[in-house]
Amino acid sequence: MNEAPIIASGLVRHFGSGENIVKAVDGVDLEVRQGEIFGFLGPNGAGKSTTVRMLTTLLTPTSGTARVAGFDVVTEANKVRRSIGVALQDAAIDPLMTGRELLELQSVLYGLPKVTGRQRGIELLERVGLTAAADRRVGTYSGGMRRRLDLALSLVHEPSVLFLDEPTTGLDPMSRLTLWEEVRRLNSNGTTVLLTTQYLEEADQLADRIAIIDHGRIVREGVPRDLKAQVGSPTLTISVGSTHSDQARSILSGFGELRPTAEGTLGVGLARGAEDVAAVIRALDEAGLKVRHLQLDEPSLDDVFAEATGYRLEGAASQGPSEALPEEDVEPVRGRRRSR
Amino acid sequence: MTVVMHSVALTKRSVRGRIRQPAVLAPSFIFPLFFAALGSASFSRLADDPYFSTNIASSFLNYAVAGAILQGVLFASTSAAGDLATDIEQGFFERLLASPISRTSIVFGRLAGSMVVGVVQVTVFLIIFAAFGARVESGPLGIVGLIVGASLLGLAMSALMAGLAIKSGSPEVVQGAFPLVFVLMFLSSAFFPRYYMSGWYRTVADWNPLSHVVEGMQGFMNQDLDISQFLKAWLIPLAIAIISIAFALRTLQRRLAAS
Repeated sequence: MNEAPIIASGLVRHFGSGENIVKAVDGVDLEVRQGEIFGFLGPNGAGKSTTVRMLTTLLTPTSGTARVAGFDVVTEANKVRRSIGVALQDAAIDPLMTGRELLELQSVLYGLPKVTGRQRGIELLERVGLTAAADRRVGTYSGGMRRRLDLALSLVHEPSVLFLDEPTTGLDPMSRLTLWEEVRRLNSNGTTVLLTTQYLEEADQLADRIAIIDHGRIVREGVPRDLKAQVGSPTLTISVGSTHSDQARSILSGFGELRPTAEGTLGVGLARGAEDVAAVIRALDEAGLKVRHLQLDEPSLDDVFAEATGYRLEGAASQGPSEALPEEDVEPVRGRRRSR
Repeated sequence: MTVVMHSVALTKRSVRGRIRQPAVLAPSFIFPLFFAALGSASFSRLADDPYFSTNIASSFLNYAVAGAILQGVLFASTSAAGDLATDIEQGFFERLLASPISRTSIVFGRLAGSMVVGVVQVTVFLIIFAAFGARVESGPLGIVGLIVGASLLGLAMSALMAGLAIKSGSPEVVQGAFPLVFVLMFLSSAFFPRYYMSGWYRTVADWNPLSHVVEGMQGFMNQDLDISQFLKAWLIPLAIAIISIAFALRTLQRRLAAS
């Protein structure tokens, strides 16, 4: 059987009733293919975690259907649970237990024989770099160590599908990179991964395909490269000094649509792509304007996100140099602003 | 079979958690011993009263043992339910729900853990009280009667508090309910014989099931073995346990259905 490991159709989850109803997930259709890393991208409250909680059997859908690892999440919930690994957003780990004890408990809960469970625990501790801390209580672990242990716990029974709900939120850059490496390694061994994140860079680095969710609905889905290409032209950012900015703006507007950039710089979406860079330089030079700084950025996932939702993702500006925008929280895009 | 294995694994976790929180575990040992010592010092002359020495106990210490056991069990049960609420609040409960285990074993693991702690507690109390001169008049079977009775009461109270923990998901609510249990205990014959009570206090104590449970245990401590002791110390907690477990499981079912 070649059924996709994760299939959701018209998935809806409402909370409350009457006038107080909250449509956390409002009709999500999703298909995650065998062996891919699927990034589920969206801001807080967009519906990512609620969707994951339905797919992992922790929440019953209000309507719609979902199948995970070939089983229905409602009528075959226990079979789904046996087949998946789950690392939830708030790493819920008993602080009074040691890492080794937790792994052994998890082995029992997933029905592994005692000896196998113990051996598996040793292997996983080694794999996530926690061997030295194995017999320390989890309460003494750092955030990064807890996340790595959480990942190890989700792998005890060698699941074919792995759900990682914001696995790197709050982690330092080194811990984040370590976790990314582990996710890549798992995926290279054939594990299908659904990863929710609010970090654009994380989705860009890890995911084969992404879905952007906003207000409970998927607003874009596809391969990051294709989605970025759909947004269109690259952004050329220049700095010419404040006294000549009006003249420079006028010249740039001849090459495409002006775009918001950091203070003291000007940006234009090059309608004909990177080949126009030389022409822009020539035009500025002919007008006697000296270019002090120049940067060409391909469209980013932030642009895709902004295009799809009408605002930029919170914290996007901190993700990398190509996304260095002056106002990182809610950035109006092409005249549209959406209330959150 | 897997339900049993899962429950055993979670029982071990529960007991381990108790042991690793000495600050939480200590009051359930210290306070009952303190109250027993206080009672023995304050009311030791009660043993001179012919009615007391003939019908109730040979010494106030012998009388106070059952009350101390009851108190310790109630402390421990509340703490165990508090741990369950903490699991819910901090998300470990959700980790368990995401695994392919029977939902009931999550609750049974906690309850069994509470019973194990109860057995250890009674044993420790009996050894300490024996060192100060207390004797179990009904012999070895009476010791078994006390231990089983305390375990059943621990099960009953843990299940009741677990229901509250599952319903509220808040350790504070569980801890907040403890004073009510404490009041119920003071309104029973755990600390003073009903024979010497009067008025509304006596009426409440007469109707308080804890009075009869503790009197069954006092019977094990102070009288020859009698079937009535088993009826009071075993059957009453067992009946409460059945109702409490049904309440806890029903609450769990509702919580899961709501999610």
